Amino acid sequence: MRRVAVIGVGVTKFGKHDRTSAELFAQAAADAIIDAGIAPSAVQALYFGNVTGGETERQLHMAPLAATLLGLPTIPTTRFENACATSHVAFRHAVMEIASGASDVILVGGAERVLNVPTESATEFFAYCSDASLEQPAGLTFPGVFALIARAHMDKYGTTEEQMAHVAVKNHRHGTLNPKAQFQKEISLETVLKSAYVADPLKLFDCCPFTDGGAAIVLAAEEVARRHRRPIWILGTHAATDTMFVHEKRDLARVTATERAAQGAYRQAGKTPAEVDVVELHDCFTIAEIVATEGLGFFEPGTGGLAAEKGWTSLGGKLPVNPSGGLKAKGHPIGATGAAQIAEIVTQLRGEAGPRQVDGASTGLTHTLGGNTATVLVSLFGRD
Amino acid sequence: MTERVINLKSFFEEARAGRLTGIRCGRCGALAIPPKEFCENCQQREWQPVPLGGTGTIVSYTVIRVAPRGRGGEVPYAIVVVKLDEGVSLLGRAVDIPFDALKAGLPVRFRPLELQSQTLIGFGPA
Repeated sequence: MRRVAVIGVGVTKFGKHDRTSAELFAQAAADAIIDAGIAPSAVQALYFGNVTGGETERQLHMAPLAATLLGLPTIPTTRFENACATSHVAFRHAVMEIASGASDVILVGGAERVLNVPTESATEFFAYCSDASLEQPAGLTFPGVFALIARAHMDKYGTTEEQMAHVAVKNHRHGTLNPKAQFQKEISLETVLKSAYVADPLKLFDCCPFTDGGAAIVLAAEEVARRHRRPIWILGTHAATDTMFVHEKRDLARVTATERAAQGAYRQAGKTPAEVDVVELHDCFTIAEIVATEGLGFFEPGTGGLAAEKGWTSLGGKLPVNPSGGLKAKGHPIGATGAAQIAEIVTQLRGEAGPRQVDGASTGLTHTLGGNTATVLVSLFGRD
Repeated sequence: MTERVINLKSFFEEARAGRLTGIRCGRCGALAIPPKEFCENCQQREWQPVPLGGTGTIVSYTVIRVAPRGRGGEVPYAIVVVKLDEGVSLLGRAVDIPFDALKAGLPVRFRPLELQSQTLIGFGPA
């Protein structure tokens, strides 16, 4: 199998946009192609992610539309949908297409637009990513899924609402350093703790926002990547799935798909958690970051809350997590998120992250979770 | 065996009548809800329907205060994950249990719930 590198990244500002998902992606993709320093015509395929376009924009068949708006109307395109892990799944498949020798240069990414519909509609559309037979009729929401996880984690390990609030405060602080972030404003512990409950024990400020945005990555085979100024190599990328049903999870205080995806990615990369310098992980809710830092092997089970409280995961801490602001502050356009996380890690490993740069970062990890903790992707990246 | 012994439709028809039904693997004895094709445990396809008693204890719970479209009139409502006495778990809506009484380990009993002409899994006091 051939080595594969990221040679270009592009991300729109995250927040509210008047442009369509396909337009947002095309803009990010053009930025990524220019960043890669290649001719647009060098792109041989598009692997595109979007989740709710059918509901929010009456737009399906969005991959060829995005390619058309980009100005590459004849390349083969594929649309991916795995809930919030969508564009990380697209990324993994593109890596395999290049590694196999079938293509040399592939454009990957995604876009989402939900701020054009009311919050209750967006909540409903996102809930379509849970099971429609048992879970949606019961009125389960995504904050509800993670609230069930949070409660189980609190009961099992003594994790507190205050520890969860520390994750929100930290990611908002990081977001102030990211000009593309949806929120660039610090918040206090008190603001989080006094915000209204959305699904007990999760409060408004434990939840990431609804976001519009697009993100794109240019992947290239080693022969092409070697000509690039600073290729960032994919050391490992692994996918894991767990039962869709919340009631079938063996332990609600864990995300076993994260643990399995991480083990696969570490094995492929020949790396250990201790060798990771910077992490972008799926903090759709504060508890999700705590559980992920445990499942990825950075902290012992049950100590993720303590890690947040002690500042170990802050910029300047022993393992900076979500320097971009994470989903919590940077925003979470679900079809774009996986690609945006990879773009941040690439920027960090290039040493181009400015005020949020993790000094000397040479190995980075991205973790993206989809739906009821059913789909998880973990990838590891390194520089020359 | 190619026909499922029960499917989602019959699971909910039974639930509507107050009967909770799972499936038991004829090979290894594993229990499952909802019906599926292969047994995750032993890879066989030899299911038998099994009536469940409907009693169990809460594993985790949350009170939903921001609902999806169409359910705004129902908030606040509690969702519970319940481990049934037979060992298999199920998610449903808490019914007639004060929110401040919800806790892991609380005994509950299945009861069907009709909302918006749809049958839901409900759990009330044991």
